[in-house]
Amino acid sequence: MTKILLIDKLDNCVERWKAAGITVIGPVHRANISVYAAVEHASEFDFGLVLPDRSIKELFFPQTEPMLRYAIKKDTIDTIECMPPSGPRIIFGSRACDASGMAIDDPLFGWDYKDTYWFQRRNESVIVTIACIKADDFCMCTSLNMEPDSTKGSDVLLRPLENGKGWLVEELTDRGQEAFTQIAEFLQESADAPAQTAVVEKKFDLEASVAWLQKPENFDSRFWKEISMRCIGCASCTYLCPTCHCFDIQDEGDTYSGVRRKNWDSCSFALFTMHTSGHNPRSTQSARWRQRIMHKFNYFPGKFSVNSCSGCGRCSRQCPVDMGITETLQEISKLSL
Amino acid sequence: MSIEQQYQARAKELLSGGAVKMVIGYGKGTTGNRRRPIFISSPDDVGRLVLDDSCIINLSGYLVSEGLLSDEKRVAVFLRPEGIRAINILAAESQLDADQIVIFGFDVNDNELRALKGIHVEEFADVIGSIRENNPGFADKELLEKIEKMTAQERFAFWQEEFAKCIKCYACRQACPMCYCRRCIVDSNQPQWVNTSSHSLGNFEWNIVRAFHLSGRCVECGNCDRACPVNIPLRLINHKMAVEVLGAFDHVAGMSKTQEPVLASFKKDDSETFIL
Amino acid sequence: MTENIYNTQPNIYKPAIMKIVARQDEAPGVRTMRLEFLDPVDHEYFKQTFRTGMFGLYGVYGEGESTFCVASPETRKEYIECTFRQSGRVTSALANADVGDLITFRGPYGNRFPIEEFYGKNLLFISGGIALPPTRSVIWSCLDQREKFGKVTIVYGARTVADLVYKHELEEWQERSDVELVLTVDPGGESPDWKNRIGFVPTVLEEAAPSPDNCIAVICGPPIMIKFTLISLKKLGFDERNVYTTLENRMKCGVGKCGRCNVGSVYVCKEGPVFTAAEVSCMPQADL
Repeated sequence: MTKILLIDKLDNCVERWKAAGITVIGPVHRANISVYAAVEHASEFDFGLVLPDRSIKELFFPQTEPMLRYAIKKDTIDTIECMPPSGPRIIFGSRACDASGMAIDDPLFGWDYKDTYWFQRRNESVIVTIACIKADDFCMCTSLNMEPDSTKGSDVLLRPLENGKGWLVEELTDRGQEAFTQIAEFLQESADAPAQTAVVEKKFDLEASVAWLQKPENFDSRFWKEISMRCIGCASCTYLCPTCHCFDIQDEGDTYSGVRRKNWDSCSFALFTMHTSGHNPRSTQSARWRQRIMHKFNYFPGKFSVNSCSGCGRCSRQCPVDMGITETLQEISKLSL
Repeated sequence: MSIEQQYQARAKELLSGGAVKMVIGYGKGTTGNRRRPIFISSPDDVGRLVLDDSCIINLSGYLVSEGLLSDEKRVAVFLRPEGIRAINILAAESQLDADQIVIFGFDVNDNELRALKGIHVEEFADVIGSIRENNPGFADKELLEKIEKMTAQERFAFWQEEFAKCIKCYACRQACPMCYCRRCIVDSNQPQWVNTSSHSLGNFEWNIVRAFHLSGRCVECGNCDRACPVNIPLRLINHKMAVEVLGAFDHVAGMSKTQEPVLASFKKDDSETFIL
Repeated sequence: MTENIYNTQPNIYKPAIMKIVARQDEAPGVRTMRLEFLDPVDHEYFKQTFRTGMFGLYGVYGEGESTFCVASPETRKEYIECTFRQSGRVTSALANADVGDLITFRGPYGNRFPIEEFYGKNLLFISGGIALPPTRSVIWSCLDQREKFGKVTIVYGARTVADLVYKHELEEWQERSDVELVLTVDPGGESPDWKNRIGFVPTVLEEAAPSPDNCIAVICGPPIMIKFTLISLKKLGFDERNVYTTLENRMKCGVGKCGRCNVGSVYVCKEGPVFTAAEVSCMPQADL
């Protein structure tokens, strides 16, 4: 016998959590796109999605956020910190790739200097992941040595029941347990079997690809130019990516008062690394695509011992010219034979 | 011989004889119905070219990639009528020399692929002319009607919701053959004309600036629409602008390579409703 | 449920406020400013952490922040001096700021020159144009404790006489008997009364031919100068491990998060900006 949560009871849970002052967030449809967003009722959730179009990242690292407000006075300058809206949140119905993506970025936002904006949100969020029972052509978590029911970054893992009526509950962390204690009366014991998790085909040989990327001579390989020829240099892949974390700092205001904001930025853009002198260390699109792949599978793991990719496949799924990490690493796998 | 085979054979001939240095066409994509842009420089590789009704991306934007045409050699490209119109505009705006472009024209009507006869852009005048006579217009009639019926406030609310989704990835700009500026106005910071942040003001500024810059220039190929990762119906804005331009100036974009850019030229009989 | 498993510390994006106490035009478009902390707490933090070689993000609210080195030495921590060329949005705003005005500062960030390791050694400083400021910080750090070092040679060149920065200090160094200063300008950049060398830095360096024995070289300059100077140093017999330089890349955060300053796997903001030539030669050259 194990603990289960029936879908029928989910609305009671949402109410209970909300009554406790918790914001409940999950996969929903908003204006012709699927996103993780706050709900009033459980009926708004769509658990049938393979995964939402937009990643969970924006709940921790929004596309634009005010960091500081400034007021310039005669003899002083006041800086007021703008912290994110505070309060506990439950993200119900994350996918394993999205949840692990946040855990992947924790060390980056925390090495030596801690990013208070990221960690305040991380600290106030409970991530309840639902294991996938279906996948699409672009899912690639298994290629990253992860699974549709991986627990990395999750506080609770739910496994869909075979009968489709609810989920088997696995509390993974203290905060997950705490969140589910609040709804204990809506849980029940059951012997219902969990459904088979999705079968996600392995698409490339990660170890071989990484070995190829680590060879210094391959930095100058012609491969980079060939693979990225059709790249149009937009930021669709990086902005939808749960682990891409690059940002810009921009001021908006006048000489007296205004806001300093942190905005998503992308290594795909030529301006990203352009010096004021006009010199650009990554002056071609191939150099920029190489940077993205190297960063994810060579530099980042070199620093933090984990690949900066959780296998969600959004980069390939949404690319206007049908590029992405999967294809690139497939080609690299071939090169390294 | 299928059109695909005919075009493969023609590509092989052009590349072998050195008549073109490259063929920009479509190849197989990640999934069954996806096609991706490919660049063929060797006659041995023409077998990779695919042509069917899934070939949708307008490839004309690649022609203005930095340095591609600067050696004055010819480049061949697979184009639908919208793409051919784009060549006219790029030529009219001095972005390329139309004589350098060899066109593999095709169109899809009622799921049927057909080849368009011609090599250089002026040879497609009839096909393009028929667009003017018989403007296929915006595909999503239902959405169009819905928008047209809205009051100004409702329309504003509609676009507010749509633009709220914008993440400023600039996929629309990068996918657009008409957005060829080496430095886009949003990337200029002295002065900072447009807020770079993707908050509601910044998103409105960006999308409206782009709509204005495409007025009288957009061929409605839909590249922006399809590229948008957050599903903003961008083509709808551009279509609306095209309708306005047609009404105000009797102008349909991309009709010939000598057609003057409508908002950058002046005619004595221009309507003057906007001049005080 | 808000148990704090992540320790947070003061906001890393919040800058200190500094007052411009003096400014000096160095060359056309190039200016030095001397800055003092408004808040003693910020000043104390700077005094405890600053070491020569580190950089800061200097900012004007409403315009943004710009990265450049701290040009004053670790032996003088009562103030910060910075030297910049007016070229972008932020540096234009900084150039418009007057004595008495307030600007923002974040830092000091990055690594440092291991000056203690230079004790007892001869020092060769090579610099070009606007890149003298990072070198100058090391020069004064050493001259302020002159007895700890051997022979000190400074080779400095600029495009024209007008483009030489720190002209007063160049005079001072020229007059000192314990410093050998070799000044040069590019051919055509000389003024009628120019009495020093004419020629590019690498050529002039080879002519001066400083001995590599027991010598540390510090070079800063535009990429093209660095490239050819490294070749010259090699010819003179310098070991790459004894040659130091600083890299300057575009930065936004300065603390290893925003993702743009890396050269290969190296984050310039955290692992740099000071590297030995041996370290630089291991980096992917195309990304420099």
